Amino acid sequence: MDPGKFLLFAVAGLSEAAFLFIVAAGLSLVFGALRVINMAHGSLYMVAAFVTAYVAAQAGFIGGFWTGLLAAVIVTGLVGIVIEVVVLRRVYQSEHLYQLLGTYALTLIIAGAVRILFGASFRTISPPDFLNGSVTMIGGSYSTYDFFMIGAALAIGVGLWLMLYRTPLGRNIRAAVSDPVLLNATGVNVSRLYTIVFMIGAILAGLGGVLVAPSQVVSLDMDNNVLVLAFAISVIGGLGSIVGSLVGALVVGMIESFGVSNRYTAHLSIAFIFIVMVIVLTIRPSGLFGRPEQ
Amino acid sequence: MIPSVGRHARWAALAVTALTLVAACGGSSTSNNGGTVTFKGTKNVGISTALSGQSALYGHAIQQSLKLAEDEINKAGGVNGYKINVEVQDDTTAVDPAVNNTKQMILQDNVVAMIGPVTSAQCAATSPISKANKVLFIAATCNSYQLTTQPSQINPYYISVVPNTYMEGCAAGTDTGKKGTTNIFIVSPDYLFGRSETNAFVSCLKKTNPSVKIANDPSTWFVKYPHTDWSPEVAQIQAAKPTLVYSNIFAADQISFINKATQTDPQWFTKYPLVTLASVDELQTLKDKYPIGMRLYMRAPFFQLSNPKLDAFVSSYKARYNGEFPSDWAVMDYDAIKMWATAANAAKSFDSDTVKKQIVGKSFDSLRGYKFTIRADDQQANVGETIGTTADSGGKYPFPILKDATNLSGNDLIMPLDLVNKLKGGQCKNDDFANCP
Repeated sequence: MDPGKFLLFAVAGLSEAAFLFIVAAGLSLVFGALRVINMAHGSLYMVAAFVTAYVAAQAGFIGGFWTGLLAAVIVTGLVGIVIEVVVLRRVYQSEHLYQLLGTYALTLIIAGAVRILFGASFRTISPPDFLNGSVTMIGGSYSTYDFFMIGAALAIGVGLWLMLYRTPLGRNIRAAVSDPVLLNATGVNVSRLYTIVFMIGAILAGLGGVLVAPSQVVSLDMDNNVLVLAFAISVIGGLGSIVGSLVGALVVGMIESFGVSNRYTAHLSIAFIFIVMVIVLTIRPSGLFGRPEQ
Repeated sequence: MIPSVGRHARWAALAVTALTLVAACGGSSTSNNGGTVTFKGTKNVGISTALSGQSALYGHAIQQSLKLAEDEINKAGGVNGYKINVEVQDDTTAVDPAVNNTKQMILQDNVVAMIGPVTSAQCAATSPISKANKVLFIAATCNSYQLTTQPSQINPYYISVVPNTYMEGCAAGTDTGKKGTTNIFIVSPDYLFGRSETNAFVSCLKKTNPSVKIANDPSTWFVKYPHTDWSPEVAQIQAAKPTLVYSNIFAADQISFINKATQTDPQWFTKYPLVTLASVDELQTLKDKYPIGMRLYMRAPFFQLSNPKLDAFVSSYKARYNGEFPSDWAVMDYDAIKMWATAANAAKSFDSDTVKKQIVGKSFDSLRGYKFTIRADDQQANVGETIGTTADSGGKYPFPILKDATNLSGNDLIMPLDLVNKLKGGQCKNDDFANCP
């Protein structure tokens, strides 16, 4: 494969990995800290995409996307808080089945609410003007917005790492992962901390939805489409590991992109993702960067 | 002794209740320009369609068109003295909900006929239900030719009023072949419709231009359906550097692909011209963002088939639905239910076998400006296809129209009978007409 072709598929894979990483990071963070598998994570991604499209259409071209982004972050954060307080607090001590059922029920409720509020039709939005262009490199054309997505994902990843490892909040989150009882004994309100963590996870899902909205159609089946891949990424990278989410997203994005590039792998590219997942589960069940359950 | 006032009140209540019951069960009426049409009752015609999901664009237009037709039919006295109620259920463009909806409508709601769902996969799954229950199934959107020729799929109650994948694929393949294009990249949704139409396209393309080269290996022709992220395919096309791209991706997938391609390179469709299936819905969605210079094949574009009946339909549709233009699906589904109503009236019955006798071998008026006939051998209508190149409408419409367009006659497109019979006889490997002896 010549360098030009390699770059084409590499950028395509990276742009896909970008929004998948953000979404998977939120899923992983919630599981790592709260030990909850949130089936409604994809729904938050979808809500954010619809809010962005709706607000952008109302606000017009001037600042439409950015206004939509702000609105989507606020909405998904608030929805995340409501979900944690109303639903999840009641199932933390329950077996995982109840958590799955509870959060799955939320996916249906949210899907119905989105349909009522925004209608059944899909929506499209354009990237902001200054990002709505293309660049040519080594004979290939690339969307400026794809590079923005990659850069935004990196920035969000760095911000997340800094929050987890350089702030008191991050210290408390990591402590809650290790020993919530002891953390509670030190006077930290673990219950409120859990709400904050879930809100951050919801905002990350929302950011993924906002970023992806200008590059795909915004539709009612977005939630399922992303959730399957987000789970695969989290399993490959390790539930609870942000670095794992990054590596997992890169693996998935590159498999999807390079997978279609040749006749030997094209019809199996989606299967490869799950083959990799099965291999990782077999060799290292906690994922590449996850920690084994105690 | 019961007080007289209380007794009178009880009798009055009884009378009101009786009158209400008679009104509910005995018949209904509707007002028609000051007059009243009295019906013997109501009959349901069912459709499971995509009011959400990948093809929500189409389902929206189909629902609106059928409701318009329902009103017209009822204003004209209904069918056999019965009011017609078009029951529309959302199947989210997925197969399982379509199956459940169809079962419910046939088994519980006692529909007298079904209009087919949007996708061929859904039709393949729901046609057997109609067959088992002897309910007429009129396909106006789903169109894989296997639905009427594959031995395991043949349903005597299945009628198609839409150009099938053989007709459509060959129309596009022959048109493309005549242009002498040398290096073609193919991208198509990976399910029954995509494979059926693409295979027909390639077969007729190679027949017209034997020296044509397909830029990508067949294993890379078909993409997951529905498809959300087109980044890999956009990269693949750039890597292959074809002179033309052929696709039959549609609805949300087509919109998504066009957006991704133009974001990647504003001159994308100049560098990689596209020939694709399209409808007024895609044009109406993207409006002036729909690329100019694309070669489209369309099933019933109103702006290309203008005739008094269609023009009147367009006016009614626009007036009722906030200025929206009716898409190809709206036109074909309208034709479907009108055909059924005409046949049922002629049969003086709702029995599927009796009504079918008034359909198969008969000709019907259509909005498309010609009469179509339902051929007996495969119960396929000889409906046409329009091919042209997108161009600015000069302000007439808020979206591009076609220039240099040709309305191909269904008589020239319809599958030859010998092929039909070989396919029905199971003589063709993989039920593919290209493999027929």
